[in-house]
Amino acid sequence: MKKIFALLLALCMMTSALGGIALAEDVEPGLLRTAVTYDISTMDVAQTTDNYLIPMNVFDRLFETRPVDGVVKSLATDYSVSADGLTYSFTLREGVVFSNGSPLTASDVQFSFERLLKMAKQNTEIALEVAGAEQVMNGEADTLAGFSVIDDTHFTVTLSAPNAGFLAELSSPAMSIVDAETMANAPKFGQEPADTIGSGPYIVTEWVANDHYTLVYNEKYWGEEPSAKKVIVWVIPEPSTQNELFLNGELDMIDLASLDSAIVASTYKTQYADKIVSTRKVGMTYLILNENNEYLKDVRVRKAIGMAIDVDAIIQGIFMGDATRENGIIPTGVWGHNDALEGFPYDPDGARAMLKEAGYKEGEVHFELALDSTANTSTQLVYAFISEQLEAVGIRAEIKSHEHSAWLALRSSGEMDSFVARWGMDYNDPANIMYTFFGNANVAKGRSLNYADEEVMARVSAARAIVDDAEREKEYQALEKKLIQEDAAWIPMFTELHLYAIGERVASFTPHWAGFSDFYAADFVLK
Amino acid sequence: MKHTLLQRLIQAVIVLTGVALLTFVMLRIVPGNPIETMMGEHANVETIQRMTAEMGLDQPLHVQFFKYVASAFRGDFGTSYSLGKPVKQLLNSAFANTLTLALFAALFAWIVGIGCGIFSALRKNHLSDRLFMGFSLLGISLPVFMAAMLLQYVFAFRLHWVPISGVDSWKGFILPAIALGWNSAGQVAQMTRTSLLETMQEEYIDTARAKGRGPAGVVVLHALRNAMLPVMTMMTIQLSGLLSGAVITETVFSINGVGRLMVQAISGRDIPLLQGTSLLATAVVIIGSLLADCLYAVLDPRIRKEG
Repeated sequence: MKKIFALLLALCMMTSALGGIALAEDVEPGLLRTAVTYDISTMDVAQTTDNYLIPMNVFDRLFETRPVDGVVKSLATDYSVSADGLTYSFTLREGVVFSNGSPLTASDVQFSFERLLKMAKQNTEIALEVAGAEQVMNGEADTLAGFSVIDDTHFTVTLSAPNAGFLAELSSPAMSIVDAETMANAPKFGQEPADTIGSGPYIVTEWVANDHYTLVYNEKYWGEEPSAKKVIVWVIPEPSTQNELFLNGELDMIDLASLDSAIVASTYKTQYADKIVSTRKVGMTYLILNENNEYLKDVRVRKAIGMAIDVDAIIQGIFMGDATRENGIIPTGVWGHNDALEGFPYDPDGARAMLKEAGYKEGEVHFELALDSTANTSTQLVYAFISEQLEAVGIRAEIKSHEHSAWLALRSSGEMDSFVARWGMDYNDPANIMYTFFGNANVAKGRSLNYADEEVMARVSAARAIVDDAEREKEYQALEKKLIQEDAAWIPMFTELHLYAIGERVASFTPHWAGFSDFYAADFVLK
Repeated sequence: MKHTLLQRLIQAVIVLTGVALLTFVMLRIVPGNPIETMMGEHANVETIQRMTAEMGLDQPLHVQFFKYVASAFRGDFGTSYSLGKPVKQLLNSAFANTLTLALFAALFAWIVGIGCGIFSALRKNHLSDRLFMGFSLLGISLPVFMAAMLLQYVFAFRLHWVPISGVDSWKGFILPAIALGWNSAGQVAQMTRTSLLETMQEEYIDTARAKGRGPAGVVVLHALRNAMLPVMTMMTIQLSGLLSGAVITETVFSINGVGRLMVQAISGRDIPLLQGTSLLATAVVIIGSLLADCLYAVLDPRIRKEG
């Protein structure tokens, strides 16, 4: 036995001699280290609608949306809009160059718009609003008829229909500006760092799939020099590993959304409360009910469901208070949001009475609550909670889990009975949510499960073109009232808070205005 | 032996083709559109339809299959939907990590397992035998994820002896290898002990003793060679398992390996990546089984003769 213990002791001593790992004090100055759960699939906004971390930091846009100031000028230094709301005249910032030294001109902006259309993969919607865009996308034209380059720093964009939210749309990462000249010799743009050239504050120097990517400060950047000179983003799929790395001082910021809420409550909210940065995940968690369903087509049943769900209890019980109640469709934090809108009151007795009035007996109304198998624990709890609350008023909502792809296909087919999901805002304009869900019958089929009022949908579509802000806001709010209070086409629930924790080396961090997990590295100030 | 090997090779080709066909068909008949999954929540219906056509997923199944096979013969397994890179490139880098991890884990499992097994057999029913067998039972019954998290918490997070995650240096492989090999070590220890104890009852062991061989000589030169036959079979099967089934270890320790790629492929309905990882996993199991046959023949002359 003595020999065994001696062997174990030797093993321990040998392992000790291996040396320690890099702790906070060993870290190079100006380095920011963080982690994500999943790797990106591309760095090219023409091919993704959600891998925005690199585009946000490596490219510039004409405008940016900031948490406090809203839509602010970035590459565009001046603009004017014609009286009919169709033509926008822009002045570009002078002296801007891409990280390879190539100047950024109005032709690059035109190229960026046309590239989205010619590739016709992702993020085509905004460029499609420009006159002549369909022809470019279909290959009938090579250049955009509605885009006119005056000189290197002046150009005009003519839309095919007025859209008051156009400037906000231009601040979306989707509208990143790429270099026309570089692109001609960059066959692996979006995949290889050396080919992925932008004019933003950072250069991407490394992307090792499923491992990490690295950004370094672009010394040719026109704007203020960021505090973080180098950023390493590790791909760490296991939340507990992320947690240990952060607590060990090996990460400078952790996205608490990836951790179990119990760990957030027991560790971060108690021991690291002063290190928590929070922002609203601008968007909305909602319940949609299929208007083609035998029972759900009756608006009284839909209203009864709205009244049977205690959203405040969900917020307190499942999200520990880290969410805001929503009553409409336009979420809190978005231009046009109506604070005064009345949602469904929590009234189980009223719900029962309404079902009775509709002629349904206890337990007669039944449908499926379709759950995406990849839903996180909180969403699964929301499903369970809703199912129980509906059962309490005599509605049987059976939760059925579907594999992610099958769930998406069932939803798109318009045959799903109901689902709970979250929509995150891409840009700060009500059209981003109103039009997406209720813009026309085609989108309504899968998104709002067969909402059928054509007059309302025509108004939602037309509202995008109202140039006068006050009139547009009034129209959106009237539509919202109709959709919620009269049609019960959407059961609004809540907007979650997005919590992050910053480490000892970080003085401050300003998250993305919409609470994206993706961040602007320049919004970190290191100590 | 040559005949057996040839037979096994032909079987391997048939199995690989079968797996390729089965994976291909199953991935296309299950509900759901991989393009919709790939494009994400914010993609519109028109884009999904356009991309489905562009990627040829609206073509008849047999056309898609023949195109896939033709490309695969040229070494082109397509581009991953979820990672945007060629499947071949992803598998190359991931397999290198998985192979290193599996070899480290196997080394740990075999050294610890065989060592414990021999020691226990020689000290049958002593305290140390019970201690080692208890240890091996713990190895068999402790789930990999728990072993991985415990090791990570104690040795990386608390003691700072090794990195919490990543395999930038060989130190990074220590905990994942132990976590992955822990279970195999337990199995090898139990099997070695049982097999060795059985072999020690054989008459030729008595003969060896009668010839004046010491206890160590009897075990090492006579008993162990025969006792190791079933253990070797188990070890080669374990190696295949370690190569194709390190999903949890790779996830906990953030290692870019084949197991993690496979999980990613399944959850993202990434057809090219899933086909690539499935074929690789099948090939690994086939090669593992071939290796077991060869080792058997080396260790047991009767098999060489029969072959």
